[in-house]
Amino acid sequence: MSEQKKSSNPKTESQKPRIGVYICRCGGNISDVVNTDALAGKVKQLGDVAACRVETFMCSDPGQATIVEDIQKQNLNRVVVASCSPFLHELTFRTVVQRGGLNPFLYEHVNIREQDSWAHKHDPVGATSKALRMINAAVGKLHHAEPLERIRMGNHRQTLVVGGGIAGLKTAAELAGKGVPVILVEQSSSLGGRVALLARTFPREDEGSVLAKKLIAQVTDHPLVRIFTRARIERVSGFIGNFDVKIAFEPKPDASASSDPQGAGHSANAAEVYASVGTIIVATGADPYKPARGEYGFGEQPAVVSLADFLRQLATLPNGNFIWNGKRVRNVGFLHCVGSRQVEGVNPPQADGKINDYCSRYCCTAILQQALTLKMRFPDVNVFDFYQDIRTYGGHEDYYTKSSAAGVVFLRYHAEEPPVVEPGENGSALKVRVKDYLTFGEEVEVPLDLLVLGVGLVAHDIPELIDLLKLPVGADRFLQEVHPKLRPVETAVNGVLLAGTAQAPMNIEETLSAAGAAAVKAAIPLSRDAVELDPFVAEVNAEKCNGCERCLTECAYTGALFKETVQVDGESAVKARVNPGLCFGCGACVAVCPTRAIDLKGWTLDQFDAMIDGLVEAVPVEG
Amino acid sequence: MSSGNGAAMRETENHFDVVVVGGGIAGLQSALDLADQDYRVLVVEKQPSIGGRMISLSKVFPTLDCASCITTPKMSAAAHHSNITLMTYTTVDAIEPAGDNHRLTLTQMARYVDTSACIGCRQCEYVCPVEYPDPFEQGMGALRAISVPFANAIPQYAVLNPEYCIGCGACVRACASDAIRLDQQPKTLTVEAGAVVLATGFHLNSTSLKPQYNASRSKDIVSPLQVERLLAPHGPYGRVLRPSDGKIPDSVAFVLCAGSRDQSIGVPYCSRVCCMYSIKQAMLLSGALPTADITIYYMDIRAFGKGFEQFYQNAKAMGISFVKGKVARITPQPNGDLMARVEAIEEDGRVMENRHDLVVLAQGIVPELVSPERLGAAKEEDGFIRRPDPLRPAWTGREGIFVAGTAAGPKDIVDSIMEAGSAAMEASHYLTQKRATADANAPSLELEVIGAASE
Ligand SMILES: Cc1cc2nc3c(=O)[nH]c(=O)nc-3n(C[C@H](O)[C@H](O)[C@H](O)COP(=O)(O)OP(=O)(O)OC[C@H]3O[C@@H](n4cnc5c(N)ncnc54)[C@H](O)[C@@H]3O)c2cc1C
Ligand code: SF4
Ligand code: SF4
Repeated sequence: MSEQKKSSNPKTESQKPRIGVYICRCGGNISDVVNTDALAGKVKQLGDVAACRVETFMCSDPGQATIVEDIQKQNLNRVVVASCSPFLHELTFRTVVQRGGLNPFLYEHVNIREQDSWAHKHDPVGATSKALRMINAAVGKLHHAEPLERIRMGNHRQTLVVGGGIAGLKTAAELAGKGVPVILVEQSSSLGGRVALLARTFPREDEGSVLAKKLIAQVTDHPLVRIFTRARIERVSGFIGNFDVKIAFEPKPDASASSDPQGAGHSANAAEVYASVGTIIVATGADPYKPARGEYGFGEQPAVVSLADFLRQLATLPNGNFIWNGKRVRNVGFLHCVGSRQVEGVNPPQADGKINDYCSRYCCTAILQQALTLKMRFPDVNVFDFYQDIRTYGGHEDYYTKSSAAGVVFLRYHAEEPPVVEPGENGSALKVRVKDYLTFGEEVEVPLDLLVLGVGLVAHDIPELIDLLKLPVGADRFLQEVHPKLRPVETAVNGVLLAGTAQAPMNIEETLSAAGAAAVKAAIPLSRDAVELDPFVAEVNAEKCNGCERCLTECAYTGALFKETVQVDGESAVKARVNPGLCFGCGACVAVCPTRAIDLKGWTLDQFDAMIDGLVEAVPVEG
Repeated sequence: MSSGNGAAMRETENHFDVVVVGGGIAGLQSALDLADQDYRVLVVEKQPSIGGRMISLSKVFPTLDCASCITTPKMSAAAHHSNITLMTYTTVDAIEPAGDNHRLTLTQMARYVDTSACIGCRQCEYVCPVEYPDPFEQGMGALRAISVPFANAIPQYAVLNPEYCIGCGACVRACASDAIRLDQQPKTLTVEAGAVVLATGFHLNSTSLKPQYNASRSKDIVSPLQVERLLAPHGPYGRVLRPSDGKIPDSVAFVLCAGSRDQSIGVPYCSRVCCMYSIKQAMLLSGALPTADITIYYMDIRAFGKGFEQFYQNAKAMGISFVKGKVARITPQPNGDLMARVEAIEEDGRVMENRHDLVVLAQGIVPELVSPERLGAAKEEDGFIRRPDPLRPAWTGREGIFVAGTAAGPKDIVDSIMEAGSAAMEASHYLTQKRATADANAPSLELEVIGAASE
């Protein structure tokens, strides 16, 4: 299935190296520490360096244009840029080099910012000489560089979406609308996730179940969408364009489940499903924080409820007096940041030993929406709101303004001194003791009939999926994107994308936007017949391979290395071979090969030798 | 140096799959996400360079990446993309339906420079004798009457500002490419598009909206965009100085919600990013001015995004002081000091008079586009572009017209980029549906279902 393109490059490695070295000041990020001019002076003296320039922003258009122009006018055939992390700009400069007419892999990126100027702020001389050594190593490596071609592989132009909440449904609806077939896998027996359970959603007061139903309708009848409920991903292998997936099903609880109106019937007949997909979207959502027993009285005092339960019940109550569990309620409290914005040493740690130090984003608005609804429906109920900061950002501020006007009483506590909930006296169910910083930090006692805990969001527990897809997880237990601005919905695994609250707390609108962004990133690679992969994979020199199979034992990636029987001089011999699509280029095989028969393209042993020589031999720059 | 000025618009080319209005971070991201799916995209930008607000920022919260380092590659990727055409210094004045397409009326302003000849060598700039306050540097540096707008601008063409040009002709003589056209006139063009993405962005409301802050009476009562430039490594002074007298400030105050959350100034909403950019600026200032006292006066700290709360806690740990209080008045003193009268809510409601030598007003975010109706959309009460369908947050409610970024309401860069992707997805979905015909190559789902479960 691999289809290697022949090099079509006019400027080849056979010519004597003419290397251009470009040093970036990064607007001072680098040049405030590294003496870039002195550095350039030294670099010019290195062997085969034909041009060396310093620019304020190498990545800017004028900076890029300089490289292109030099390649063409000065016949450069290899390029080094010494700037920021390759993570940010290696690809940028490979493209520039290609625009200049060179093979994009005759390029080396040197990180003199994160690895040098930022690390050695207080040692400019040392940093300058380190930069020189690093550049010298790159120049040495380039001496042994060969033009490489990206690996082209077939592409299964369909997507797997994991999770049938609004994020998953939205990605499926958009992709199918754009003509991309989608397989949607939901672990529970119904679609719609949490939103389907919400009575009212902010900011437009739409009914959650109505929103969910509309999205469900868009996908259930779509010919390009296939939905499997009570299903889970059992196996995944492969890489972008070529993920092979096995879907398995939970045993059916009882026969009536198939009559579930929300599409469970789709999985009624399947035992296992196999599919090949090009991209995978993880939309597994988040869960409301579940307070520990006794946390603010939860689970011990019946008058302490979580926000999720409160809003479900409030919607069903008749107007008139506010009756909760058979009792007339006059004083209601809302407590913000339950399970969020926790402080080390104040809040007990979670099961994994860590606290939830993040803000859950949706809850301030959700709380004030409920407080306001309560005030509007039951004007004589007194509402007390215990908060740290009211985070009704953007237009949600309206809920804050209106709640204040409606007479909600706000009390501000500090994270270090969370309110204390105790059994009430004189007929009220509870009393909350809190130091209120809006009234000069005095401790006040507020008698309540009902306390609503404004619970945050926590990452949904998906250890198997994290393991199967090798998903990166952040310190907050949410799934981690590559870079919040450069690649906000992509994971470190090429072709695996994040949508919605699996990544971070978000409200409905934000979740839908994130889902759209994930859908587009899933659609882009599927708009072509083939996917292109980086060429940095292992390659076996069959002549040197003695068939010892040590590499096969060492390789951690199924299918990346395999053995093959070939005829050598009329006799059959076993040789190792690489499947470039499955090889991760980790180099484990290279290390164990006794005959130096395996090399990583772009990172050969000769190149490593040259880099080490380059690092040790450079002369330090003075001053 | 002329590479990177984008695919030049061929005179005959007047139909695009999508036109993106606005070349800020949201517009560029939408354009890239569409062009990568092989749609032909035109980006129309009012300013002489693409990049929007983000290209003028210093570092960005919550990761403190340098803003240029994130923006320039996107600008450059758009400029070099074979499916993207850029038109800068051009406004979209009207969008009307044309069959099942849209007809856009554009005005290309006069640059007084022939972009097919200009190579961005800046010889004109070096000889021009007139300087005026540099808009990119928020008026703090100086720009020649003819110049390339800023160092990493895209495209790198010179622009002449007729307000300041004295007509001496020095630039005309210096230009080796014979590119300067003092008689150039604005041009009106029309293009057609299958779909439109509005990404027209925001601006900040005025520092003088609140007379009690006396911004007009002191140069040291500054806008946060000025602070971004002061903090930028390649900014106007190369370091942080106060604008009035060049003194290194030793006490800096930030007044949050200075142009938001106030019905009386017509901005009842919260501007969403000012808490965070103020915290960011405070952190960067404390790095640049290690001995300075930095105070943030706030009502609520709205650190709600991914990593924001942790960022806020780091700022507190760095020693930045957060004072919950209303700033009633700022009074410039004859010696240049600024006295802030503050009701400190958490300190018994005591009224304090605090001395600072630089005060930053966190202004509100208001829409750049005043009449979305003319561009085929409608506006909400708050002035931002309306999105009537809760399930399609990138859709304006008008056939084929989408919206991304701050044009739809205040938001940070990450959220703008997310929406931009979402708008690109909606637009490509829309275009696919529009073209859908009985296609023999129509995609179909491929999978293998094995066995029958308990039925
Ligand atoms: C002081 C300050 C600091 C900030 N710091 C951060 C930070 O650290 N991190 C962060 O995440 N966010 C930050 N932000 C927010 C960030 O700037 C915005 O989220 C982002 O720039 C929005 O991008 P945009 O593309 O929506 O709008 P813009 O950047 O405003 O782009 C819109 C573009 O459209 C053009 N345009 C408008 N109308 C027309 C028309 N009719 N025809 C053609 N073109 C038109 C405009 O000229 C402009 O170039 C900060 C904001 C401010 C004010
Ligand atoms: S949104 Fe409000 S209630 Fe929720 S964690 Fe953040 S500050 Fe606390
Ligand atoms: S983000 Fe912060 S400073 Fe800006 S308006 Fe909202 S609360 Fe005020």
